[in-house]
Amino acid sequence: MARPELEGEWIQGWPDRARARLMPSKDAEGRTIYARTPLTELEGLITPTDAYYIIAQLNMPDPIHPDDYSFKITGLVDREVTLTVKDLMKLPTRTVRAVTECAGDDGEFFNWQKKGGAKPSRLKKQAESGGWNQMVVEGQKPSVDELLNTIPTTCLVSGGEWTGVSLRDVLKLVGVKPSATTVHTIGFDTGRPDPTAQYLSAGRTDIEVVDPGVINYDKALELSKAMDPDTLLCWAQNGEFLQHVHGAPLRMVVPGYSGNWWVKWIDTIELLDYEPECYYQTQYFVLADTPEAPRKPCKELGTKSIILFPLDEDSPLPQGEHVIRGLAWSGKGAITRMEVSTDDGKTWNDAFVEQHHDKWLWRRWSYVWKAAKPGKYSLKARATDEAGRVQPQQPWNFQQKHFDGIIPVDIEIK
Amino acid sequence: MHIIVCAKQIQNPEIATSVFRVDEQTNKIIPVAGMPLVMSPFDEQCMEAALRIREKLGEVKITIISLGPKSTKDVIKHGLSMGADEGVILDEEGLEGGDGYTTALMLSEAIKKLGEYDLILTGRQAADWDAGLVGPGLSEMLGVPAITFAKNVQVEGRRVKVVRVVEDGFETVEAVLPAIVTISNELGEARKPNLRETMKAARKPTKNMTAADLGLDASRLGAAGARRVLEKLYIPTKDGKCDFVQGGSPEELAANLVRKLQEAKLI
Repeated sequence: MARPELEGEWIQGWPDRARARLMPSKDAEGRTIYARTPLTELEGLITPTDAYYIIAQLNMPDPIHPDDYSFKITGLVDREVTLTVKDLMKLPTRTVRAVTECAGDDGEFFNWQKKGGAKPSRLKKQAESGGWNQMVVEGQKPSVDELLNTIPTTCLVSGGEWTGVSLRDVLKLVGVKPSATTVHTIGFDTGRPDPTAQYLSAGRTDIEVVDPGVINYDKALELSKAMDPDTLLCWAQNGEFLQHVHGAPLRMVVPGYSGNWWVKWIDTIELLDYEPECYYQTQYFVLADTPEAPRKPCKELGTKSIILFPLDEDSPLPQGEHVIRGLAWSGKGAITRMEVSTDDGKTWNDAFVEQHHDKWLWRRWSYVWKAAKPGKYSLKARATDEAGRVQPQQPWNFQQKHFDGIIPVDIEIK
Repeated sequence: MHIIVCAKQIQNPEIATSVFRVDEQTNKIIPVAGMPLVMSPFDEQCMEAALRIREKLGEVKITIISLGPKSTKDVIKHGLSMGADEGVILDEEGLEGGDGYTTALMLSEAIKKLGEYDLILTGRQAADWDAGLVGPGLSEMLGVPAITFAKNVQVEGRRVKVVRVVEDGFETVEAVLPAIVTISNELGEARKPNLRETMKAARKPTKNMTAADLGLDASRLGAAGARRVLEKLYIPTKDGKCDFVQGGSPEELAANLVRKLQEAKLI
């Protein structure tokens, strides 16, 4: 699969490069319910909102008019309150630029590392009709191989600018009782979790999947992370009010944690002194070697880099200089070092890392490769973060979450 | 060789059905705010068919022509960006409310003005009204043969060879040029405009023609000239009813299903 020819589009009345578009899946009414970011078509650090990846685990809820919206804060607080976005705007605002990465982003590379076969591609598009969680008739078990071939898990990562208020400031406003340990956030999106996601993640269907019935999406965040000033309640993304598919009117932003923590469409925030049995924390989005082994919830992302040029699909390349480029990010803060190997990891060379002040946002990196001799090359990249963690951090796990492995790019020089 | 592609601008057929609205008082479709109008997908496939012929034959001029309001220029630009050589806009202002007959009439008069042509391509139907009249109408008015529902169009010398879709398969039909072929979706996906062609499109010629330029009296066009009488435009209500077939074994389930289908006279 070669890269497609550069598309054209009329923009502001002028012929121009076509803008990067999401790779979407739509429901029967043509509404996007799942979409992947065209990473290989983008430049810069902020993913345009119209190219930002979209996932909802349950059903997308009906939109709410901003004037009709409010959410509750209850539980172990001094004052239970109902707030609107206008109420939040009275507090000091905070803007954080951060990477949102789905816990399952690149998950299929785990299987590829373990079992081989065709290497997953960042250029592969999925079927547009029917969502990833609507492809199997309820009550039936899917063919995992067929699903894996149909639903790529690459490109479920984007970088955005998020504007709202620190959750910490809101919690201070209502007064958190000393016994509280957990911030339980409940979305107004509901549905019955589709076991397909579990089968797909595990790559097998002979596992027991708990059916909790119809639930609201919820997550229970530890109070310490909730009190991080960069954990936000957001009403804006990339300079404009949130789009419905991204959680309008209000969503959580939890920099460093995978996307499932960034609860969309917030209905209730409840302070608790225990960790509730959230389905998407105890049954799904968990890390364990096997379905039967003890589980822990996916939280911090690992240390990760991806190569965006060249791709396997760009092979062969002519002799000469080529710029190996990509992005790197971490769940523990800024990327401090990038290394590139052009000999399958035998030797490593420092790459240039673009500096900026947003520790949760990915960094661009590049390395000028002088490809002097014809032959086959295996290109690799590895990142180091400010905590000193070197890629990769996350070992294989049965739900294939938080992949941050080093994937070689195979290039022939002619 | 000169191919003329007829295209229509329509509301994007991909929009969610829940936002599609009609005005039942005026019998008109209410445009969905914020959703750009698009070229009817069958017409995009006409462009694709024309471009495939050009790729095979080499010297082929492609003209894209469209009847519509001012926004129709976007459809022309899209066709030019796909690879057409020139565009013709037929100004519909003041002539709204027409039908397949009035559209075919204005297109046919414009095509006569364009001079020599070899092949006219239209969509099997516009993806909004689905009437499928313009192609056969042009055939009648221009006095050239029409082959409908094409999935493959090949030009060999002065003949066009068309594989057409029929109810139980395909049939191959030939006609002497000039001819009209209506293109069906089985032709395959239309290409996306590439950047190079889109940039060239900005410099390609586009003509504007009015009914007066074509010597047509307004009384023969638009709502005044339409032969279709639109009695009622409405969104049908769908009453879904789900009936679960009962049975203790697969065989019993199948037998009960067959009985229900027979009772409903479906088999």
